[in-house]
Amino acid sequence: MIPTLLLIAVVILLTLVAIGKIPLSYNLRNLSIRWKTTLMTSLAFTAVIGLLTVMMAFVGGMQQLTEKTGQPGNVVVMADGATDEVISNISGSDVAEMESLPEVVRRNGRPMASRETYLVVNQPPAAKSDGRQRQRFLQLRGIEDPQLAATVHGLALLSGSWFSEAGVQSASAAGGSAAAAPLVQAVLGEGIAHELGRSRSRQELATAKNRERLDLGDTFRVGNRQWVVVGVLKSVGLTFNSEIWAKRSLVAALFGKDTYTSLVLRSKDAEGAQKLKSFLAHDYKKAAVEAQVETEYYATLSQTTAQFSYAIAFLATVMSVGGIFGVMNTMFAAISQRVKDIGVLRLLGYARWHILVSFLLESMVIALVGGLVGCGLGCLTDGWTASSMVASQSGGKSVVVQLAVSTNIISTGILLTLLMGLLGGLLPALSAMRMKPLEALR
Amino acid sequence: MTYLKLIFRNVGRNPLRSLLTAMVTMVLVFVVTVVWSILFTLSLLTTEKSQNFRAMVTERWSIPSRMPYAYATSLSRGGARHPSDARPTDWMSWQFYGGTIDPGKLTRESIMFCIACEPDKLATMLEGMDNLPASDAAQLHRDIVKLKAKRQGIIVGHNHLINTNKRVGERLKLTGIASFKGIDLEFEIVGVFPVGRYDSLAAFNRDYFANELDAYTTRHSGRKHPLAERNLSIMWLKVPDTATFNRVAAQIESSPDFANPAVKCETAASGISSFLEALRDLIWGVRYLLAPACLATILLVIANAISINVRERRMELAVMKVLGFRPYQILVLVLGESLMLGVSAGFISSGLTYGVINWGMGGLHFPLGFLDTFMIPKAALWWGPTVGGAAALLGSFFPAWSARSVKVADVFAKVA
Repeated sequence: MIPTLLLIAVVILLTLVAIGKIPLSYNLRNLSIRWKTTLMTSLAFTAVIGLLTVMMAFVGGMQQLTEKTGQPGNVVVMADGATDEVISNISGSDVAEMESLPEVVRRNGRPMASRETYLVVNQPPAAKSDGRQRQRFLQLRGIEDPQLAATVHGLALLSGSWFSEAGVQSASAAGGSAAAAPLVQAVLGEGIAHELGRSRSRQELATAKNRERLDLGDTFRVGNRQWVVVGVLKSVGLTFNSEIWAKRSLVAALFGKDTYTSLVLRSKDAEGAQKLKSFLAHDYKKAAVEAQVETEYYATLSQTTAQFSYAIAFLATVMSVGGIFGVMNTMFAAISQRVKDIGVLRLLGYARWHILVSFLLESMVIALVGGLVGCGLGCLTDGWTASSMVASQSGGKSVVVQLAVSTNIISTGILLTLLMGLLGGLLPALSAMRMKPLEALR
Repeated sequence: MTYLKLIFRNVGRNPLRSLLTAMVTMVLVFVVTVVWSILFTLSLLTTEKSQNFRAMVTERWSIPSRMPYAYATSLSRGGARHPSDARPTDWMSWQFYGGTIDPGKLTRESIMFCIACEPDKLATMLEGMDNLPASDAAQLHRDIVKLKAKRQGIIVGHNHLINTNKRVGERLKLTGIASFKGIDLEFEIVGVFPVGRYDSLAAFNRDYFANELDAYTTRHSGRKHPLAERNLSIMWLKVPDTATFNRVAAQIESSPDFANPAVKCETAASGISSFLEALRDLIWGVRYLLAPACLATILLVIANAISINVRERRMELAVMKVLGFRPYQILVLVLGESLMLGVSAGFISSGLTYGVINWGMGGLHFPLGFLDTFMIPKAALWWGPTVGGAAALLGSFFPAWSARSVKVADVFAKVA
């Protein structure tokens, strides 16, 4: 849609260039003569469009998170009435019953199902420079069989290995005292590995293997235990990017959550998932549960994204109005300085609409130059990461968002800049068009 | 005075340009005012106070916090076990409850999150309730009296009244959702919180909640509701100073009474900061990218407009010099014109923003975590003129300097 609109705008621009009788070089020369004014107006466009590109890239990243996460063949089962994993409780017996449903795909005789306990826990990161102790919320996912869970979720390891059957390892293996409590083995999403790595103390960073993020063998503290990184998930662009996976039995014991929060069941395909969801929601009588196709569940977390999109649309409108007034000011000034030029052009035989097209083009060129630079600057943020939240009506997750500058975003930026140039230049161009040649020369 | 007249006359000489410059300034000052209002509120909430502030006790590790209600009595004394131990001056317990007016359609509008609490404490322990305007305070007091008298009463925020399409005096039925499934509550709306911060809050009598949890057990043949044992979400404590807070926090966190589950005691500001930690980068972007970009744009537009002005008036400036105006006087004149435009546009913009958003819209509705409505602070009334004025001064400095340096001979030579 947006690229099509941009294409239409570019076609209009090129048509104006083509039908304009006054050479474009006349306008370009004028712009270069008044280079300070041109530069300042263009810079204003750079600021506006650059900022909008960054904001749209942020929302684009959030959108990707909720759209990409989840498998269309998976069904997430939570307790009846639970709108979020964090407030769901399912008993072990219910989980076992549901796993044995014939709609659940089996591999080597085992149901493709992941029993999970999802928790949000507090972690006090290193105190900031103001000395205040803050808490950070970490998302833990207790998993029973990590390999099975990864297959069900369609995830793979970027590096390292899955945690062991016991889920712990001796502290001495990670350079600690042999007498210390065993370390809890954890697999981190890349995003949370960066986040935890970023808040290390200077001493820790000085000796760190990887200064960018926590790496294999690095330790961190959650709850009353020391944890060790045994693997990093390949999870960029997914909500799992912000999660810590560990052995479910350990997580449950450490944080006093002995029930499951969710069960992810793999059906044969998307259609099968819809049928399974419907069966669990309406016909399954052994336990009251809430079932959602995994992709739909993550899609419901887009409320924050929608809210940010509205905010950006509002800001874009307000700032565009500012940009329009800015370019209008410049164009009125340009016209008032070139009244005699306009008179001469008219006497040379150029029609009124030639004048209109000429000044419109000039205004659009100023806007386009600034807008293109703004888009270029905005593109530099592609791939940057930022912490945020995705939420539904009554639940949410902290996530690490990767800013994504797409063709759509660039197209929107350029389209907006052309529109601002056009609207900002229209009134001055109309006033130039209506000038009478003799009066202009007087 | 002569200067002022000249400035006025010059600003009015090209009304279109002045108007366009003022409009850009107004639009961008509006954005800056809105952005700063949000940041101002967040900063206010997360700034540590040194006297008479609130501390919050929550479950140490897990979220959402669920402590046994049996903790409440001991926590209300700040975990004091000896006569010499420090004690809070006031307290309030919060038990969260979530329900919907329409079980078939869970939307933001149909879901209500409420707190079960001690009605009296609404006036003394809710932040900002101690400095309400007299009429609001009196109304709140009357509502609290009604809430105490009616066990099934509820005081709701304005958003709830709009979402549920109910009025004070009407009944409201909430069906428990998520962890609260099985606990359906029926209320009579006895009052409304003053407009602003508590627009999305609803509070009811904790005795009613306790009764309903007991009734659930009776209805389910002695099987307790999953929340029956652990339903205390937050315990708020008011402490007179930092020293007392530190002692109370140490008492609570080291007390064996609060070991399973363990609890943590932190200042309200610190708790809110933790909650906003997830939005840290977003807030950084708003503070250091969005607001500065708006300011830079205002600066560029004003600089552009003033430099165009100066360029067009070189002849006039040269004549002024001939008439005896000193260079610094010309500098002041140009700066004054720009300052007047910037300050007036900034003031009009922030004034309109304050009036329209606070009075016309009842605040800026932008859900951010647990915050729902942001009011434009009174301070915004001076942010606008200051931002407009400062941007105007900075933006017009170079054009004004160039005006000051106009060489009479050069200008007249060109004319000749």
